[in-house]
Amino acid sequence: MTHEQHTSQAPLDTDAVIDRITRFVAEETRTTPDSDQDLFTTGLANSMFAMQLVVFLEQTYDVTVAGPDLQLSNFRTIKSMAALVDRLRAQSATGTDV
Amino acid sequence: MSDASAPGRQDTWDLVRRDAGAWDTAGEIPRTVLSELGAAGLLCAEVHKQYGGLGLTSRDSGELTAHAGSLCSSLRSVMTSQGMAAWTIQRLGTAEQRAAFLPRLTGGRLAAVAFSEPDAGSDLGAMSTRVRHDGDGVVLDGSKTWITAAAYADLIVVVARSGDGAAAVVVPADTPGVRIEKVAHPMGCRAAGHAQVHLEGVRLPAANVLGGGALALPFLITTALAYGRMSVAWGCVGILRGCLAAVTEHAATRHQFGRPIGEHQLVARRIAELYAAERVATGVCREAAEHWEAGSPSLVISTVLAKHVSATQAVQGSASALQAMASAAAVDGHVVARAYRDAKLMEIIEGSSEICQLELARHALATRRTTARKESAQ
Repeated sequence: MTHEQHTSQAPLDTDAVIDRITRFVAEETRTTPDSDQDLFTTGLANSMFAMQLVVFLEQTYDVTVAGPDLQLSNFRTIKSMAALVDRLRAQSATGTDV
Repeated sequence: MSDASAPGRQDTWDLVRRDAGAWDTAGEIPRTVLSELGAAGLLCAEVHKQYGGLGLTSRDSGELTAHAGSLCSSLRSVMTSQGMAAWTIQRLGTAEQRAAFLPRLTGGRLAAVAFSEPDAGSDLGAMSTRVRHDGDGVVLDGSKTWITAAAYADLIVVVARSGDGAAAVVVPADTPGVRIEKVAHPMGCRAAGHAQVHLEGVRLPAANVLGGGALALPFLITTALAYGRMSVAWGCVGILRGCLAAVTEHAATRHQFGRPIGEHQLVARRIAELYAAERVATGVCREAAEHWEAGSPSLVISTVLAKHVSATQAVQGSASALQAMASAAAVDGHVVARAYRDAKLMEIIEGSSEICQLELARHALATRRTTARKESAQ
């Protein structure tokens, strides 16, 4: 497991985030999905894997995915996860809490 | 963890050790004992200090859970419920909800989490309890079954359907429309306060819905259960430690055929089985705790593994313990007799062994090439 702890909340390159999440999904599912593929309807993800994704994003990008963000829509595709990371990092940079 | 190294007052642990058998036969732990442990933060020891908790790490909290479990699995079950409620509030609640509810759980109030329903056990997706918005509040209707600690709880975190999704709602047990009906004679953890929870037109402020809106049911269940499974796994370590202490003491001091029974090879084998069970369960729990502390995604699977392995080991180990102690332990209330009954329940709750096995198999299948590639690269 590669640990990419970001202590500062500098903007991230979205392509790099998509690439990193794709690698994680590939490691855990032996399939490399397209960034806009629905992971749940195509059978790659289930509720256990969804939680792995939550913890992965939290650990890798130093964010907290709290209650209101635990929506399947946020985890449905790699792009939607990258967007979530982007939003959560922007929120924590401005000190906004849920 | 010994009594001396466990957080909390020595005399409290002495009391638990002395009275656990009586609580088991009576089917009840005195409210004052639970309130005192709760007010000391010991029932949900991972809650952050800012909310009055002890802020223990996953590993230290696990060792505390095992300590309680070695003395009284009913008390440990109450800890599991309280900890799971606190974790759910921490994880799903807003900052205001954490500030409103968590200090109550570290201040002596007791809590439970209600998932299971008569027609939704392993298949929690089939749950029918529903929460709907009504004016500026919400209304809950449905029935929950076999809810651990619900007979003691001041607050019950009820998981319900909400629109197309789900919600976790904090329900004060004294709200009109809430009826708690204790399970009469549970076969294990007899004093853990298992109860049915009936909800009829239970009206609450919208502020009691954790996170405010509807969440995905699978997320909600997996999140809350993860904590409960770790707690049950450490509780099983405790069951094994309680058995090991009783059996080694007995086998070293009871003489038959002119020598301590521990020197008879067939009894010695039981002791070895029990010792191995305790070490194996401790090992899987420690690995999972490391993953929790590191924030590693591996915590999801290692938690399922810890729960499944520890529960299985507890069932086998407690059976070995009872066989080795024979009539000396074959009395209700005895620590080993309790272990034998309580362990079996641990294979059933918080995801049955079968559900855990399905999840482990699914993970093994999904990651099979990754594993092969990693091994060949070494």
